[in-house]
Amino acid sequence: MVAPTAKEKKMGALSRRAALALGLGTAAALAADPARATPGEADEAIGKFTGGKAAEPGPITIDLPEIAENGTAVPLTVTVESPMTASDRITDVLVVADGNPNPRVATFRFTPMSGRAEVATRIRLNATENVIVVARTGDGRFFTARKEVKVTIGGCGG
Amino acid sequence: MAEKPRIKVPKEAKKGEVVEIKTLLAHPMESGLRKDDAGALVPRKIINRFTCEFNGALAFACELEPAIAANPYFQFTVRLEESGTFRFTWIDDDGTAIMADETITVA
Amino acid sequence: MRRAALVTIFVAGITLGPGVRPSNVAAQSAAVPLALDGEASARPWHRYHEWPQRDSAKFNTLAMLASPPAPTQPRKVAGSVAGNSALGAKLAADRSRGGSCLACHVMGPAGDADLPGNLGPDLSQIGNAGLGDETLFNFVYDARVYNADTLMPPWGTHGIFDDQEIGHLVAFLKTLKAPAPFKSDLDDPAKRPPPVENRDNLDSMLNPAMWAVDDKAPALWTEAGPKGAACASCHRDPARAFKTWAAGMPRWEPRLEKVMGIEEFVTRHARATTGHAWPIESAENGALAVYLRFLANGSTIAVDQESAPAKAAYARGEALAHRKVGQLNFACLDCHDAGRGAGKWIRGQWLAQLRGALDHYPTWRTSLQATWDVRKRFQWCQVAVWADELPPDAKEYGDLELYVTAQSNGLKLNVPGIRH
Repeated sequence: MVAPTAKEKKMGALSRRAALALGLGTAAALAADPARATPGEADEAIGKFTGGKAAEPGPITIDLPEIAENGTAVPLTVTVESPMTASDRITDVLVVADGNPNPRVATFRFTPMSGRAEVATRIRLNATENVIVVARTGDGRFFTARKEVKVTIGGCGG
Repeated sequence: MAEKPRIKVPKEAKKGEVVEIKTLLAHPMESGLRKDDAGALVPRKIINRFTCEFNGALAFACELEPAIAANPYFQFTVRLEESGTFRFTWIDDDGTAIMADETITVA
Repeated sequence: MRRAALVTIFVAGITLGPGVRPSNVAAQSAAVPLALDGEASARPWHRYHEWPQRDSAKFNTLAMLASPPAPTQPRKVAGSVAGNSALGAKLAADRSRGGSCLACHVMGPAGDADLPGNLGPDLSQIGNAGLGDETLFNFVYDARVYNADTLMPPWGTHGIFDDQEIGHLVAFLKTLKAPAPFKSDLDDPAKRPPPVENRDNLDSMLNPAMWAVDDKAPALWTEAGPKGAACASCHRDPARAFKTWAAGMPRWEPRLEKVMGIEEFVTRHARATTGHAWPIESAENGALAVYLRFLANGSTIAVDQESAPAKAAYARGEALAHRKVGQLNFACLDCHDAGRGAGKWIRGQWLAQLRGALDHYPTWRTSLQATWDVRKRFQWCQVAVWADELPPDAKEYGDLELYVTAQSNGLKLNVPGIRH
């Protein structure tokens, strides 16, 4: 057993050890992460978009950083290869982030006036997670692709 | 509070040419998950829909969720056959619509 | 009175011009009106309410010494240290406890080996190093008894971990006998690629800090204050007049007997000439601070290092950059000196060296969705190492800003930046 120090630590009503056992941290930690979505919630959002139809791997490019410096405004570009003619085009694209409290990120509608089936935006990511893209074609088929983004962990903490 | 939307549209384009458009609106996109200093949840208040119309027809639309970052930014493309006016519309959860118009000459 | 001041400015504009040479310190500063009374920021200074409100009065700041002295001898440990290695693993990964260990060390499976740092050595096989319990205990309690120059926070002496917790950590350290199970090269700080900053920081579609340049500052420039004048009353062509001005700041101000940065200059000069009240960290001050530097973008940073007061301020700033502050006991140079922490990782954050640090301030902070000036950056660095910050216009921060900016002499201004 280590010889105790003469110093007395005032811990307040909850001893530090008790607080640790309960999984409580600083106020900053308490105010932080809302719960991640369950894997089922991401699938549910995708199922609503596809009406239960299967989505095959397809010509979708997801441009995201391998490591995001933080989850506040991560740049995302989604490109679906398509001639975008009247008979062969993409109509809608769903973006889902499977680790966010609400996995739906956005739904994009492309029209006969669209140039490419491509959109760039900036998204919020709760933590390291997968960004999943599902695209619908004009004749009702679905393609999908996914990419994992690591959201970096800051150095100093709270 | 209302900052003018920032929009980049070329002044001219050729018929059928792919034209790139960039739009940005200053908006906090309050997710509804953030807590204030007292520990209370700040209510959700986001832009939930963005549309780009050209000469009255829909060119591009987006349904936004709280996972779209603050100051929502969209870069997308159109192909045009005639000159005219773009109308960009952002719809806030509280029902207000922010609109901005840009013209383009297509030859 | 005002006309005399205007005449003085006009004369100064002819004799000195926008590219003021640093050796004309006294002549230059005497010409420009400054409100010399009062402070340039709120008093008493209250920490920003969204920052951790920890009180660190018992530890060093850049303005005063208060930390307990380092022990001279290791503490004696009889026999082995009692502890629960599972609790130790949790403590090692607990970011609310000043890091903790994973901020600087790779530690085997702790924290799922998810982006540990490498400011300190890899401890994944420390259990095989043959170090006794007493050595391990004292390394955590206060490593200064073994190495006076250590970067290790004095977890015990400074009261961050108590003896039982250090016991848990020692128990955990003794289990570390195999390399860390990294899921990918991104997690391994030895293989992780340093971040490359290639964003177009002057693109208003990407960097909201540019809105100060586009809209906010030009509007403030023509807004008349209580004295009836606006900036534009004397400075009708700011783009020409301030083409290089910002590159010579901060500078020694003899009337205030301190180094004055651009933010404090805006407060005192605006008050003296227009009557506007634009304290440091106000939105107006921030917008103008960005604008005045933006106008000098591309000019070469040339902080005075010739005059006697500047040399003295530089020496003070250098000493402050070496001072250990806060409960975590870090000096600026511990993280930002090329020979110590610069180029290494604290958790997933890469540490930059001082050269190149201030050429892009103020900067947009993507993590906070806010523009930060250099004084707020200094204040956060203090709070992050569990030290009390000073008011933004503290003279110590002026000395530090002069020292740190001088490390970027020769680089070109590129403001506003955009960073995490």
